[in-house]
Amino acid sequence: MTPRYRLTGVTKYYGDKIALELESLTILPGRIYVLTGDNGSGKSTLLSILAFLSRPERGEIEFDGKLVEWKNAELQLLRRQVTLLHQSPYLFTGTVFGNVAYGLKLRGQKDEALKQRVAEALALVRLAGFETRNVRQLSGGEARRVALARALALQPVVLLFDEPLANLDQISAEVVDEIITTLPSQGTTVVVATHDPQQAGRLGGDTIRLADNKLDRLPTGHCME
Amino acid sequence: MNSFGEILRTAFSLILSGDRDVFEAVWTSISVASCSTIFATLMGVPIGLLVGLSQFSLKRVAITLLNTLTAVPTVVIGLVIYGFISRQGPFGGMELLFTTKAIIIGETVLAVPIVIGYTLSAVKGADVRVIPTALTLGASRVQGLVQLTREVRFGIMAAVIAGFSRVISEVGVAMMLGGNVRGFTRTMTTAIALETSKGEFAFGIALGIILMAVALVINFALNLVQKS
Repeated sequence: MTPRYRLTGVTKYYGDKIALELESLTILPGRIYVLTGDNGSGKSTLLSILAFLSRPERGEIEFDGKLVEWKNAELQLLRRQVTLLHQSPYLFTGTVFGNVAYGLKLRGQKDEALKQRVAEALALVRLAGFETRNVRQLSGGEARRVALARALALQPVVLLFDEPLANLDQISAEVVDEIITTLPSQGTTVVVATHDPQQAGRLGGDTIRLADNKLDRLPTGHCME
Repeated sequence: MNSFGEILRTAFSLILSGDRDVFEAVWTSISVASCSTIFATLMGVPIGLLVGLSQFSLKRVAITLLNTLTAVPTVVIGLVIYGFISRQGPFGGMELLFTTKAIIIGETVLAVPIVIGYTLSAVKGADVRVIPTALTLGASRVQGLVQLTREVRFGIMAAVIAGFSRVISEVGVAMMLGGNVRGFTRTMTTAIALETSKGEFAFGIALGIILMAVALVINFALNLVQKS
């Protein structure tokens, strides 16, 4: 099976400080990975690299067996397969529909097909009928669910979550949890950065543990090489 | 000497009767200011976005220079451009001096730093998550920039309004480069300066009232944008 990602000798600096240093990491398709580690251990940095938003200063990354060369046109195509849901996601000014439709419009979706995809995505996060709401009228939990719907609508090959349950109300947390666990069955690779050991336990899957900005050695059966 | 009340009455009657000289000056002011604002926007907004989003070693110097340029007296800008487009200047052959084109060039130079400054402020105040969010949803860098522009559109509108406000009320550039030629390059501000010096207070007041009305509308618009 071709790995979804293969990272080799990856190092990312912020200024003079090493933000992340990985000798080797392989992520397989269609599985859930739980990314754990203390604050500042490099979880968000790793997610940013996996989302092709941040280029490491050293190392190589293969995606679906192909070496990533970090050229603009290539990166746009890669980013259309991988979506990162930030810890505090930003909703563009306007309506819920405008936000959920944003990525779909970039991909050429329009008219009825577009409306259908938006409606389906909102229904998945239990916000059916919210299309015309202005994003400023949403609660924190609703805003996070709209951000999730915006990502789900794109049906990415990889979905990355940065602390998806942080400061979420119970209903929203349940919705997010439920969706995350069903994604691999649709072939989506999921990487979830979380502090919550209970969530990590609920999700199951493989664990990627970071400590001091490096990959911690784990027993066999986990995703490291 | 006429009383101020009589002068006011005369001024209003000039406005209400559609006095040709009054409205030619108004039309020249508005058309020249509009053109220069459009050019300043086309140049200033992209520069403001680029400077705002870039990190480079001389960024602070660039911003300080920009702020200085917004404070340059209009007559100095007029003088510098005069030097370029007068008969003795490098562009003298283009015969731009004492035309509305010359005023537009001068007022564009006047407005660009203001538009850049306001755009820079808008970008500085924008949420840092806008572009990464757009990128992770599949946008190209240019599309990300477009989305950022949408997010800060009210700040950019304020930039345009501020630029227009500056040029419609300036006199130095219009006087130096336009020459205040009646029916041709005479703007509201140069007409006020000229007519008042001739003792034609009513004419000056009439234009002053219209200029105040324009300033009021501009400020009202700016307030609306800021509230948004």
